[in-house]
Amino acid sequence: MSTLLNISGLSWRVPNKAILHNINFNVSKGEVIGIIGPNGAGKTSLLRCLTNQANILASKNISGSVQLKNRAITQYSAKEIAQHFALVMQKNETIFALSVQDVMKMGLLPHKTLFSLDSDHDKAQITLALSKVGLSHAANSHFNLLSGGEQQRVLIARALVQASQILILDEPTNHLDVYYQHQVLQLVNKLNITVIMTVHDLNLASLYCQRLLLLNQGELICDGSPKEVLAPKQLSQVFGLPCQQSIDAITGATQVSFYLNNTDTQDNYFLESLGE
Amino acid sequence: MNKVSITLFVLAILVILSALAAITFGPADIDSAQLLNCLVGTCQNQIANVVIWQVRIPRVLVALVAGMGLAIAGAILQNTTRNPLADPYLFGIVSGAGLGATIANISLADNLTIALPLAAFLGALFSVVIVVFIAKVLRSMEQLLLAGVAVSFMLASITQFILYFGEPFATNRVIFWLMGSLARVEMSNFYVIASILLIAMITVFALHRQIDALLLGDESAASLGVDVDKLRLLMLGICAALTATIVAYCGGIGFVGLMIPHIVRQLIGVTTLKLIIGSALIGAIFLIWVDVIARSSLPHAEIPIGIITSALGSIFFLFIMYRSRAIT
Repeated sequence: MSTLLNISGLSWRVPNKAILHNINFNVSKGEVIGIIGPNGAGKTSLLRCLTNQANILASKNISGSVQLKNRAITQYSAKEIAQHFALVMQKNETIFALSVQDVMKMGLLPHKTLFSLDSDHDKAQITLALSKVGLSHAANSHFNLLSGGEQQRVLIARALVQASQILILDEPTNHLDVYYQHQVLQLVNKLNITVIMTVHDLNLASLYCQRLLLLNQGELICDGSPKEVLAPKQLSQVFGLPCQQSIDAITGATQVSFYLNNTDTQDNYFLESLGE
Repeated sequence: MNKVSITLFVLAILVILSALAAITFGPADIDSAQLLNCLVGTCQNQIANVVIWQVRIPRVLVALVAGMGLAIAGAILQNTTRNPLADPYLFGIVSGAGLGATIANISLADNLTIALPLAAFLGALFSVVIVVFIAKVLRSMEQLLLAGVAVSFMLASITQFILYFGEPFATNRVIFWLMGSLARVEMSNFYVIASILLIAMITVFALHRQIDALLLGDESAASLGVDVDKLRLLMLGICAALTATIVAYCGGIGFVGLMIPHIVRQLIGVTTLKLIIGSALIGAIFLIWVDVIARSSLPHAEIPIGIITSALGSIFFLFIMYRSRAIT
């Protein structure tokens, strides 16, 4: 497997705090990588650095390097980066009645010149991508009227039209019910492209990612298979709760559960949180 | 041809027909046969010929391009700010033009034909520079619109202060100018507005995909390779130049930029190419006919065109609000 991305010595400091501290890892072609960790661990910040969003790496607070195909990402133009990375973000803020088709057409942008119109080939690409995510019937629907899961799938289809090699997703399962969580992650796995995503639900991450990166307070604590990364001792340190690992009888995936020590502490914990 | 192309084609024909029909309206009695003769150069009646070529045609053509320009300025601003209520007027452009016109009126009483539009243009540009400066400091679009409203009120209050202490005659002139009118336009005004309109249209056609990408949020657009801040400043600048030029020649004509794109979204579509072409065509038809009403509804006087557009616009908005209430 060839190395696509190389992150070395990546640090991001703001006064009194390290958002990211000396992060090193490689991404190979075709990997599905989940970034896990508590709130504020630096997961989304790391994603922003990977794609050099808003030329963030030029900031003097950030040191270290991100290389895409052995070339520093800062040497790529915004258009070239968009040809390599497709982003599926958490929030979409449209108020106009965009159709699914309109959203899909945005994916063509990194491959288009000024003044260009949509060709028949473009339209065929859009139809193909929508069929891959199972939304062929929705091409003319209003994007805003779709369910959260369907919107995520449209954005994943847009990423396919964008024809980038790396798909970046920030919390793709947020606000989705159990059914759509599994549907979206299964879809992402079937696409046969490199995927880097942040995931809150550790068991979903374990089930759908080949490799996990555990971040805590800006540091990369562990990088490896779900079984290695979800080691109980490590997780209880990071999340501050006792933890137990098991193997799911049906899927065979490593699963973890967290619990509070005993009823006494549980009561104390809740009373404290209520301020009593 | 699909439905959108047919709609646009029909609208384009309506623009031409409206323009021709509008030439026959006015104090001097000119029928369609005379009009046709004068247009092809076989005119018998010299007075009709002069009226048509030197009064009616410049006026209808200016109404046409001013309607296009105001409507697409609104459409561009609405798509680049993702706010359906964005309008060049909210960015203080008219207040700035008003301030410029006031200063010109008070300080240079003679030679106003050139000085008034020029001062209005400079004033409009001044207000846009302030708003753009604020836009660079504030990154959020909501704040930018509020800043525009604040600048608008600030400039209006300076204008009112000057007018309050100015001589009544100059004050009257400014107030009438702010109400908007196409009564004094010339062919040269048409050429200036049309060339800026052309530049604006070409720029928007070139960048239509970039502007569309903004519709799903700044972050999404940036991930598609769009330099969001630069694109927005460029578009704001184009809208400002367009509106400032129109306001300088025609005075304050409100609500066109707000109302027309709203209709186009319902009728044709929300993406930039459809919205801009649709707004240009419907904006032209709208302003041509409003100007016909302005010059022919009263027997011996004209109604300022801005009064009519504001009246229609406000009723239109109340109607939209009423209808959306009924849906939800």
